[in-house]
Amino acid sequence: MLLLLQQIRKEEIMRKNSFFSPSRILVIASHTFTQLVRMKVFYFLAVFALLMIAASFFEMPYSRTTEDTAEQELIILKSTAMGSMAMFSVLFAIAATALLIPKDLEDRTLYTILSKPVPRLDYLIGKLSGVLLLVVVSLLLMDGLLCLILNYRTDGLLAVELEKARAQGWPKEYIQMRHDSITQQGVTWDLHAGVAAIFFKATIMASIALLISTFSSSTLFTIVISVVIYFVGHFTADARNYWLHSHGSNVSQELKMASQGVALIFPDFQLYNIIDATIEGKTVSASIIKKLTVLTLFYTGIYSVLAWFTFRKKEF
Amino acid sequence: MEETPAVQINRLVKEFPSPFRKTKVRAVNDVSLKIMPGEVYGLIGPNGSGKSTTMKALLGLLRPTAGSCHVFGKNSLKTDSRQEIGFLPENPYFYKHLTGEETLRFYAKLCGLRGKKIKTRVDEMLEMVSLQDARKRRIGGYSKGMLQRIGLAQALIHEPRLLILDEPTAGVDPVGSRQIRDLIVSLRERGVTVFLCSHLLEQVQEVCDHVGIIFNGSLVKEGRLDDLIAIEDQTEVVIRHASDHTLTKIRDVINDSKNTEFVRMGKPRTTLERLFLDEAKKSDSLLVDKDTLPHVVIASTNKKGGDHA
Repeated sequence: MLLLLQQIRKEEIMRKNSFFSPSRILVIASHTFTQLVRMKVFYFLAVFALLMIAASFFEMPYSRTTEDTAEQELIILKSTAMGSMAMFSVLFAIAATALLIPKDLEDRTLYTILSKPVPRLDYLIGKLSGVLLLVVVSLLLMDGLLCLILNYRTDGLLAVELEKARAQGWPKEYIQMRHDSITQQGVTWDLHAGVAAIFFKATIMASIALLISTFSSSTLFTIVISVVIYFVGHFTADARNYWLHSHGSNVSQELKMASQGVALIFPDFQLYNIIDATIEGKTVSASIIKKLTVLTLFYTGIYSVLAWFTFRKKEF
Repeated sequence: MEETPAVQINRLVKEFPSPFRKTKVRAVNDVSLKIMPGEVYGLIGPNGSGKSTTMKALLGLLRPTAGSCHVFGKNSLKTDSRQEIGFLPENPYFYKHLTGEETLRFYAKLCGLRGKKIKTRVDEMLEMVSLQDARKRRIGGYSKGMLQRIGLAQALIHEPRLLILDEPTAGVDPVGSRQIRDLIVSLRERGVTVFLCSHLLEQVQEVCDHVGIIFNGSLVKEGRLDDLIAIEDQTEVVIRHASDHTLTKIRDVINDSKNTEFVRMGKPRTTLERLFLDEAKKSDSLLVDKDTLPHVVIASTNKKGGDHA
C-alpha cells in the first residue's frame, strides 16, 4: 500500500517521458545560455562599442568631385558595424558550439545529464538553441548600439548638409532629395534585415559545428573545419557555375546532381549577400527574407538531423 | 506474482575496437546478475576489470555487444528506463558556474519536476547532504567531499528507485566518506536499491548486502555478503567484562569438548577509521561542524559507535 502511494505521488510530480520535450530543451538551452554568459563572453560588446565610437568619429576628406561624402561616412559606419557583427556572431556560433559538448564530456557532466531521462535529441537541440539564444541577444545589443550611433550621426550630418545646401541656395526639391538620400543611409528596416541575414549565417555555422563536434574529439579540429566550411561556402556557387559553364553540355546529369550535393555540404553563403546591399542602403524585399528563412531552416535542419544521427548511438 | 528485479543484466558482453589490431578488446565477458528492489549490491574488482563498463551499459551510455540490461523491467537503452535511475559518476565535476542550489534545480527540471516540487526537493536534498550553508556558493569553490555530496543530491533529486554509484567515496576524507556511507544505509532503509562499485573493500563490506567480484570482465563470484564471507566451521563469541578466571574456564570447556578446537582469544580491535572518527568527534573544531551534520547521520554514527563500545 505504501509503495503504491509512493508511486502515485511520484507520478503526480513527474510527467511521462516523451521523445521530444520542448520544456526540457528550454531547460538545457537556458542553462547553456547562462553558462556562456557566465564565461563573460559579453565582454566583447565593449570592443564592439569602442569600434562603433571610433567609426562614428571618422570623417571623409572633403572632395570637390563627390557630393555624397555624408552618405559615404554613414556607409563606412554601417560597414564597420555589420562586418564586426558578422565576424563576432560566426565566431561565437562556431567556438561556443564546438566547445560545449567536448567540455561536458571531459567534465563528465554529460554522464549526469544523459543518465537522467533526457533523450539525446533534446540535449543536442538544447545546446544549439542556447548558443543561438546567445547570438540573438548579442546581435540585438549590437544592433541597438548601431542604431543609436547611426541615428545620432545621421541627424548630425543632416543638419550640417541641409544647412550647407540652404546657404548655397538650393531649391526645395533638391534639398528634399539630399535629405532623402542621407536618410536612406540611416536606420532603416532593411538594415535590420541585414542583421537577420547575419543571424541566419551564424545559425547555419552553429549547426555545422554541432555536427562536427558529435564525431570529433578535438575542439580545435571542429573550429578549424567549421571555419574552412564557412569560407568555402562563400565561393561554392561561383566555383560550381564556372565549372558547369566551362564544361558546357558535356556535364552529365549525375555530375550536376553531385554538384548540388556539394552545395549541401558547403552551404551557399552568397545567397546571404543582402548584407552588403543593406549596408549600401538598398531595399530588401520581404520575399527574399522569407526565402532566406526557409533556406536557413533547411540547412540547419539537415545538419541537426545528421548531428543527432551520429550522436544518438555514440558511446561514452 | 514475482517481483520485477531492479537490475537484470543478462549475459552482457562488451567489446571495444582495438587500434592497429583486427581483434577487439573484450571489457565485459558474459556477465549476468540480478539485483532485487531494496538490495545494496557492491561490484568489486581491480582497475580495468569491467566495473565501470558494466555500469555504463546499465545507464545506456554504452551499447552491449551482446546480452541486455534491464532496469525495473525496462531495457536500459530506452530513455524511459532512466526515470528510475540516479547516477553518481566517479570524481564528478558539475557546471562550475552554477551554485549548489542552481545545480539541483537544473537536474530537477531535466527530470521533469515542476513548480513547487522543485523547491521542496532541492531543500530536502540540500538538507540531506548537509549543504544548506553552501547552497548559494558556486560549485567551482566546493571541496572534493562537497562535490561528492552534491553529486549524491542530484542523483536522488527525482526520487529514483535505483541509485548507481561509481566509487562514491573515492578521494573523500574519512568524515565525508562516513557521511556518504551513512546516507547509503539510510537510503537502504527507505527501500532504495543501490548498485555501487568501489575499491574500498571494507566500505563495501559495511554497506552492501550482496556482492559481485569481477575480474578481467568476468563475474567470478556473486552472492549474499554474509554467505560469502562467513567461515562456516568457526564460531565467534564476544564477551564484555570477562575475568581471567572466566576466560580460563571457557577455554577449558572448549578443550574438553569433542571435535572442537580452540583457535584464538584476544581483544577485538576497532578500525583505524573508527578511531579517527571518534577522535574527530571529540575535537572542538569538529564539534562545530557536527552541528551541520544531518540528524540521520549523527544518529546513525552514534548508534554504530555505541554498538562497539
